[in-house]
Amino acid sequence: MGVLNDVARAAKSIVKGHMVTLREIFKPPMTIRYPDEKPEQPKGSRGMPVLKVNAETGELNCTACGLCARSCPPGCIEVIEETDANGKRMRRPLAYNLDMGKCMVCNLCIEACPFDALEMAANFEISVYDPENLVFNKDQLATIWKNYDAVRIAGGEKL
Amino acid sequence: MADQIERSIGAGVQVIEDAETMEEALRRAHLEEQAGERRRMLVNFGPQHPSTHGVLRVLLTLEGETVIDAQPDIGYLHRNWEKIVEGWTYAMVVPFSDRNDYLAAICNEQAVVGAVERLMGIEVPERGQFLRVLVFELQRLTSHLIWFGTFAMDMGATTAFLHAFRERERCYSLFEEITGARLLYNYLRIGGLRNDVPDSWLKKLEQFLDDFEKEAYPSYWDLVINNEIFRVRTKGIGVITPEQAIAYGASGPVLRGSGIRWDLRKVDPFLPYDQFEFDIPVGTNGDAYDRAIVRMKEMMESVKIIRQVMKRLPDGPVMAKLPRALRPPKGQVYNRVESPRGEVGVYLISDGGTGPYRIKWRSPCFTHLMLLPVMARGHLVADLVTCIGSIDIVLGEVDR
Repeated sequence: MGVLNDVARAAKSIVKGHMVTLREIFKPPMTIRYPDEKPEQPKGSRGMPVLKVNAETGELNCTACGLCARSCPPGCIEVIEETDANGKRMRRPLAYNLDMGKCMVCNLCIEACPFDALEMAANFEISVYDPENLVFNKDQLATIWKNYDAVRIAGGEKL
Repeated sequence: MADQIERSIGAGVQVIEDAETMEEALRRAHLEEQAGERRRMLVNFGPQHPSTHGVLRVLLTLEGETVIDAQPDIGYLHRNWEKIVEGWTYAMVVPFSDRNDYLAAICNEQAVVGAVERLMGIEVPERGQFLRVLVFELQRLTSHLIWFGTFAMDMGATTAFLHAFRERERCYSLFEEITGARLLYNYLRIGGLRNDVPDSWLKKLEQFLDDFEKEAYPSYWDLVINNEIFRVRTKGIGVITPEQAIAYGASGPVLRGSGIRWDLRKVDPFLPYDQFEFDIPVGTNGDAYDRAIVRMKEMMESVKIIRQVMKRLPDGPVMAKLPRALRPPKGQVYNRVESPRGEVGVYLISDGGTGPYRIKWRSPCFTHLMLLPVMARGHLVADLVTCIGSIDIVLGEVDR
């Protein structure tokens, strides 16, 4: 009789499991068809850091102070300040390179920036064929900031 | 579990004979095979095996299909964590600590952040502390959900995996709303939290907890835990006696599964856990089934704690007022937290600078992996998979 009881209990537990699956059949799917349907990203979602452009002057907010580069754990930011012929510092970047191959999207550069020059874009689709293309220069970063859907940019208030 | 046995700690600790090193095992197997004594086989299990939860290589000595010895070989995910952070400031260590145990990032952050706070004597505001408890327990829930899904899948139940990941995705969406990231948050700061949570978020969390408690959680029991196949596959498999668990330094659900009531949230409350009511589930036999039951019950305890936090969440700031440059005094501190896997500890030595002089990371996964030969000896290869799944290791933390 012990064996029969075991069999009965096992059969019952398996039927119970299948009932859970049966209930799921009538529910709408939880998944989305990703490349065609984009996932909904909340405000503040971190994708990649980009450079902000001043709306009035059309120039970058960045003053090439290098605080972001110093606060970056993997060291993926490279800032070179522009100087004029006399060697005077112009307080704007000659080059601003961001290596997304190294970046770990930790948000520390944005928190370090005292000039509101950096922002986290929600853009997460940055795959490329050539790893060299993962290094973004300042024009590319500004273009991403300008072109990216304003709703999905993690901007406005500083989180 | 009506007949829960509480065993006193420290009683009957005995020295367990050391397992052989890998070279010794290889040599022995080779010699025995040459002598033709026993038909033994040396098999690599992993590092590309899907049931090893990452990149773990287990060197198996088999007799037929019985495991004679199982020696884990680690280091495939080694990233030199402890050395790299030595040149960094404390703020930079926090996001990198996420990458250790990537399934419970908040717990790692709390270990690092708490160590610095303890060294500097920083008092986190009450709302900050309560919110830390909240995200900590939500993280425990997500981590146990992943364990549930992958453990069931190790035993061939693919459906449960998808059920668990459905709830986990909702958790991660909640995390993304307040922290900005889904897996590696960098949310905790030295002295508090990066940002406050809005009330609308708390409502969403409440909705999630209701759904989880009513629908998802009972379905996990129906699908897997109460299933007869699951019971047969896990009962009596991978037994760790309380003495062995203590001798090897096990912690977390592995230790509690062996029947020892030891939880840092009760024993050494690192956050205001003493203000909340919750139970510590313990097992009796120390087998894979008991560890599974302990984790399943812990999920509900986490939900209980989150509800209490939400009910009593005080107003106020979440971040303490701090000097611009953090320079802890010279000294050393050990800070430990109860992560979903066990005791995560940070041993921090400061030389008075802006960054750590040395950090030692105490990883529960590494300790538990050393129990694998003890658990697997004498079982079948299929049960070895159960053993690996039941200790819930994250290889990122084993190798660091």
